[in-house]
Amino acid sequence: LETVVYFRAQMRKDPDMASAVAAIRTLLEFLKRDKGETILGLRESLTGATDCLTGVDSSVAVSSGGELFLRFISLTSLEHQDLSRCKKVMEERGELFLEKISMSRAKVAKLCHTFIKDGAKILTHSYSRVVLRVLEKAAAEKKRFSVYVTESQPDSAGRQMADALRKLNVPVTVVLDAAVGYVLEKVDLVIVGAEGVVESGGIINKIGTYQMAVCSKAHNKPFYVVAESFKFVRLYPLNQQDVPDKFKYKADTLKTVKNLSEEHPMIDYTPPSLITLLFTDLGVLTPSAVSDELIKLYL
Amino acid sequence: MPGPDKETDLTERIEAFLSDLKRGGSGTGPLRGSAETARETTALLRRITAQARWSSAGDLMEIIRKEGRRITAAQPSETTVGNMIRRVLKIVREEYARSRGSSEETDQQESLHKLLTSGGLSEENFRQHFATLKANVIEAINELLTELEGTTDNIAMQALEHIHSNEVIMTIGRSRTVEAFLKDAARKRKFHVIVAECAPFCQGHEMATSLSKAGIETTVIADAAIFAVMSRVNKVIIGTQTVLANGGLRAVNGTHTLALAAKHHSTPLIVCAPMFKLSPQVGRLSSLNSQFTICISGEILSKVNVHCPVFDYVPPELITLFISNIGGHAPSYIYRLMSELYHPEDHEL
Repeated sequence: LETVVYFRAQMRKDPDMASAVAAIRTLLEFLKRDKGETILGLRESLTGATDCLTGVDSSVAVSSGGELFLRFISLTSLEHQDLSRCKKVMEERGELFLEKISMSRAKVAKLCHTFIKDGAKILTHSYSRVVLRVLEKAAAEKKRFSVYVTESQPDSAGRQMADALRKLNVPVTVVLDAAVGYVLEKVDLVIVGAEGVVESGGIINKIGTYQMAVCSKAHNKPFYVVAESFKFVRLYPLNQQDVPDKFKYKADTLKTVKNLSEEHPMIDYTPPSLITLLFTDLGVLTPSAVSDELIKLYL
Repeated sequence: MPGPDKETDLTERIEAFLSDLKRGGSGTGPLRGSAETARETTALLRRITAQARWSSAGDLMEIIRKEGRRITAAQPSETTVGNMIRRVLKIVREEYARSRGSSEETDQQESLHKLLTSGGLSEENFRQHFATLKANVIEAINELLTELEGTTDNIAMQALEHIHSNEVIMTIGRSRTVEAFLKDAARKRKFHVIVAECAPFCQGHEMATSLSKAGIETTVIADAAIFAVMSRVNKVIIGTQTVLANGGLRAVNGTHTLALAAKHHSTPLIVCAPMFKLSPQVGRLSSLNSQFTICISGEILSKVNVHCPVFDYVPPELITLFISNIGGHAPSYIYRLMSELYHPEDHEL
């Protein structure tokens, strides 16, 4: 499918781009090339395209990006009855939307770096481009801080984060995932990214985040989450089992493996009671404010 | 036409206000309550609107912001000043939107919805001139002033719902709002009040005297006895200097201790705070604000470092309820009230 090819090309072209943004870009391109005659047909083909994309990259972010785009289509199509004009408006607004969300990481970094005080010791989990951006901004503001990164098995993404931080001349130490409790007494604050932010204000992120959140609560350290607003997703998990299987495992694993109970999940759910604040491009939010934002969008 | 006399008169008043604020902070001038500061700030802003020279809403907001930055720099710990400035800026924006006839006032905040549906990067530059804008803004500021005058009464009116007969209430230091609250309840109910004296200024003593004059049975305790006495307390009612955006408090020192003791005994902690104390700042205060120093005499003075923080940070998890002039709210709801009072672009003056 050329959708998949385009998506992969987008991801390769800019490795720094969020996967949701790449998904939205792909869907916009799909929209431009679509030859459908009706809006309903358009919606159906877009849903098909989104399913295609989630078949390639089953992360929450791609799913939320796709849903947001569909919502965008529905909202725009309500305003204009004529398909061709509708499509033109959609394309314009789509480009505008992409422009705005490409600035979202900068907004988040601007909000968050003030919370990093001089001499702070920060703990983070795995590789997050948003957290990296925040730390870049703080380093640019001449703040002195040091970072502990968890190795984050099974893919050792933490090492990638450590390399990126070393390039910024930030003192960084890689710790075992099991050493989170050990290291927390030295740490001043914990900052993590998120793959998805759910309706309750909790987050879905790389496995090991929940553990880190529980330990920070026990040590009374602030647990901050940085995420762009397009990651808000309409899920309300009540516990770890509630998170749909399609997000927990990689797309290839889902297709090939018969017995999922023998596989290790790649993500976990952190409930809102463990999160102190969320930094998004919509502002600094308490977890209870997240559902408000989602309601404003979907109702 | 406002002549040069009016301009100098205006600058004189601003200078007088600034020096008053500075003196109030150093402890030499009369200690003013936050309500008075809020009222005086709003009156000053009304005067600026009336007398300064401006042709469009954008100019007015620039002037207010400039003066606002000066005033907040004079006394950074007095957050009510900044809050009132932000309220007035929001008023100006609303009146401008109303004059333009647009219904944009409902969707001023950033939201996911706005991201998806807006037609362009809307740069609202407030350049249009409206003749009636000045009158509308001044009228709205007058409404704000009336609201400010009624805040303590509005809070006190809610007292009977929260205080029951034969209860033991604990408070700390001196808060005019809590005083009015308790006095209002005392008209119909009999209860006991324990006041923690709140060293080193021991404002608790004045609070106790004032309450006992109103016929309330009051006991004064030392701050160190808070935990010991807490098991006998039914409710803790306190005032605060500022309410932060995450639902936390910046209150007089000793309040965090009180809050932790209340949490330990599962005693509800009620904060009486009028809406003008709500500030868009977030986060913990790691910096010590020692503006007051204690007198230590003798040789020890050279060998000792004295830190005397004026304010405490109380995290939102320790607070049960906020009682404001518009009713009772949970700490997790404060962000919503904030979005209704201030515009996000005004958070940073």
